[in-house]
Amino acid sequence: MTEDNFEEFLKKAAQSYNAPPARTPREDMWRAIHAQRAAGPRVVYGGGSTMRESSGRRFGSRIWMGAAAAAVLFLAAGVGIGRWSARSNSTRSVAVSPPKTGSTPTLTEEPPVTTAPQAGAIEPSNTSGRQSRISASPDGARGRDGRRPDVIGRGEPQVALGVPQPNSTPASAYQLAAVRHLSEAEALLTSFRTRSNADQQMDAQLGSWARELLSNTRLLLDSPVANDPQRRPLLEDLELVLVQIVQLSPGSTPQDRELIEKTLQHDHVMTRLRTAIPAGSQRGS
Amino acid sequence: MEMVAYESRSSVNDTQLITRVVAGDAAAERELYETYVDRIYRLAFRLAGEDELARDFTQATFIRAFEKIGTFRGESSLSTWLHSIGVSVALNGLRKTKRLRNREAPMEEGLTIGASRTEAEPDLKERMARAIDALSDKYRTVFVMHDVEGYTHEEISGTLNIPIGTSKSHLFQARSKLRVALADFAPEWAS
Repeated sequence: MTEDNFEEFLKKAAQSYNAPPARTPREDMWRAIHAQRAAGPRVVYGGGSTMRESSGRRFGSRIWMGAAAAAVLFLAAGVGIGRWSARSNSTRSVAVSPPKTGSTPTLTEEPPVTTAPQAGAIEPSNTSGRQSRISASPDGARGRDGRRPDVIGRGEPQVALGVPQPNSTPASAYQLAAVRHLSEAEALLTSFRTRSNADQQMDAQLGSWARELLSNTRLLLDSPVANDPQRRPLLEDLELVLVQIVQLSPGSTPQDRELIEKTLQHDHVMTRLRTAIPAGSQRGS
Repeated sequence: MEMVAYESRSSVNDTQLITRVVAGDAAAERELYETYVDRIYRLAFRLAGEDELARDFTQATFIRAFEKIGTFRGESSLSTWLHSIGVSVALNGLRKTKRLRNREAPMEEGLTIGASRTEAEPDLKERMARAIDALSDKYRTVFVMHDVEGYTHEEISGTLNIPIGTSKSHLFQARSKLRVALADFAPEWAS
């Protein structure tokens, strides 16, 4: 038994592997290409150009972890509340505090305080550690702490939701959570592209961060955010990249990282992320 | 071999073709397509194993190539550039497809499929296919390109943007894994 024999055997036997048809369906594919191009350009955010990051832009690992933890908390709260709100009685209202520069926006809720419970009212199982104010009364019934729901929490301006307001629906909570998440993802990918190839400790930190973002990406994929025809493919591509980063082991080769880089480039993930994040919104940092 | 025809295309021809495509010459687009579609489709089919997916990947490759050809700087050959797009499209597409199928496939069904495969007495063809499928993307891609489709390590290196040595290493690893997986058939290559 020789190596040559095995190689010859392998090459011969492998010819049956996924053997393509004798004739390439040239015309069919050409028509399909023509039709797709005539239908307009694919959704490539930001013109589809691949952008390189400045190598000088780096983030400290502690900042990463802090930002990641904050983002995870925020996103989990946002998605959870959004889901809960969507299921609950439509007459209930939610208090949302808009994001402020330098602080994590809070999005909280609390069971209604009314004299007679309404049908379908849900008592949250756990509101500890959250600033939570909900009123089922549109005229601003007081909460458990005796304050009106529209003047709550550390004196920060709050949006009371007893009446319909464009920024105070569960959908807007999802949007807020999605933008925050995409900002975090951009920060992670920027860090990934600018780190040193030899820095395995950094890879481990990135992997940990990516794992958290991956969970949130999947939550968003199952949320109404994914109904957006532009955002869904972005989240799916982001999910793939995050999976690749999570799977980077400490002993991973530069080729493994190159594959991720190629995915980023070919799918224009960075460009699309930046386009999907509204100007002026708080970037993940 | 078929590959020779493509290698024999001079860079001058490619440059002229690219210039015409960039200028919006529909005939040039068709010429580019006709020149490379067979190889791209074959490779896509080898990687995907399904006609529908192979068509999708091939179409996406050319659509993307036509969109991006203005950015082609000639650092590699046009063939390498196109194959690079093709492999990237195919691997990304397969990952997405696999993920979607994993989501959709009920757990019980997956277990049943696994059990039936284990119990069956597969012939060489089936065992070979399963062994190749079990390779990681990087090993499978290099193996398929080199041992199945006849690409050189230089072409693989350019397409996958990896050093030639890495291509050879991946091929060695792939063959080693296949040798283990196909050990039952050792008499066939020992004879």
